[in-house]
Amino acid sequence: MNNKHVACGIVALFIVILVQLTLWVKGNRSKVQDEASAAQQAETDATTLLNQERTQLGELRRQSADRIEFLKIWEPYFTAIDTRQSAEVNLSMQIKEANLVNLAQRFEESQVKGNESIPKTMKAYLTFEDDYARLLNWLGDLEVKMPTLRTSSVRLAKGTRANDLRMEVVLEQPLLKQ
Amino acid sequence: MQITERQIDDFKSDRKDITPPLPMVLRLVPLLFYCSIAVTVILSSIFAIQFQLAVQKRDSHKTQSASLVTQTQDARNQRTALEAQVKKATDIQNWVAGSRPLEPLLVEITRSMGSRSLILDLRLDREAENPSQIRMGLSMGTDSTKQLDTTVEKISTLNYRAFSPTQTLGRGMLDYKATLVYKDPLSKKNEEGSQ
Repeated sequence: MNNKHVACGIVALFIVILVQLTLWVKGNRSKVQDEASAAQQAETDATTLLNQERTQLGELRRQSADRIEFLKIWEPYFTAIDTRQSAEVNLSMQIKEANLVNLAQRFEESQVKGNESIPKTMKAYLTFEDDYARLLNWLGDLEVKMPTLRTSSVRLAKGTRANDLRMEVVLEQPLLKQ
Repeated sequence: MQITERQIDDFKSDRKDITPPLPMVLRLVPLLFYCSIAVTVILSSIFAIQFQLAVQKRDSHKTQSASLVTQTQDARNQRTALEAQVKKATDIQNWVAGSRPLEPLLVEITRSMGSRSLILDLRLDREAENPSQIRMGLSMGTDSTKQLDTTVEKISTLNYRAFSPTQTLGRGMLDYKATLVYKDPLSKKNEEGSQ
């Protein structure tokens, strides 16, 4: 091997380096192109998912429009009285204002089964003995004024005087979940 | 003394070529080297441009994907919030459906009593599991079942239907028990309308 062969070998080495350089640049390009393709696929998937989600949301909005409207109307009535104390005070005021003969009253908190939004109620056990018309009018007014109030039980029996009724009533005031 | 040119040449022995020339194939190596420089420059430039374009495309898709993911999450959050609202509405609706006023029922029952009849005991209790159903217990002082028919008819005018009725008559007293279920007249009309 003479110096010409050596020079030739060095030049050949340079050629190999240049080829390697080109391949390296190509490799980088291919890698980024693959990443771009993957990103494009991810974007397509994300678009599909968004469309599905929007469709579901739109469908749910359409189906629940009536219920949401119902909630808008009724929720203020439920949030107006949402603690046991306010329920007790409110009901006591209603009884006092009516000036009925109240023989007994008892309040207690009660759990509601199968209703996550209204987990508790304030139960009022009331016993009255008063005029038939006054008693029923009071109950009717109360049910209109406090539409969220539930009359769970009512018992009417004859009172001690001619026009009197004895009314045992259990009222439930819902306490909305905070 | 001058030395002639010929004489100088005499000092230098004749020199042969030190190395033999390269074979023809290897003579192409320098040419190949120049070609490879040109090809490398051209291809690398193309690849570099494509690399830059791919980087831009990748970044653009990633930005767009991130935006889409955020929008999807927003939509999902809205759906979750809406589902919670619907659940709350359903719960409230159930409560309201089970809280229909009892006073009209009481009034209608008491008004239905004739002059020869008397309510001894009237009891209305909501079912614990299904509060829209009302268990009714009525003890009347009467001598016939006619009064009961009138009372039941009056109850039905308020859109309540009596299920599982039982009645016991004896010694001028009539006991009546039934479960009252409210039938919304509007829903019936809607059902007929949809058919």
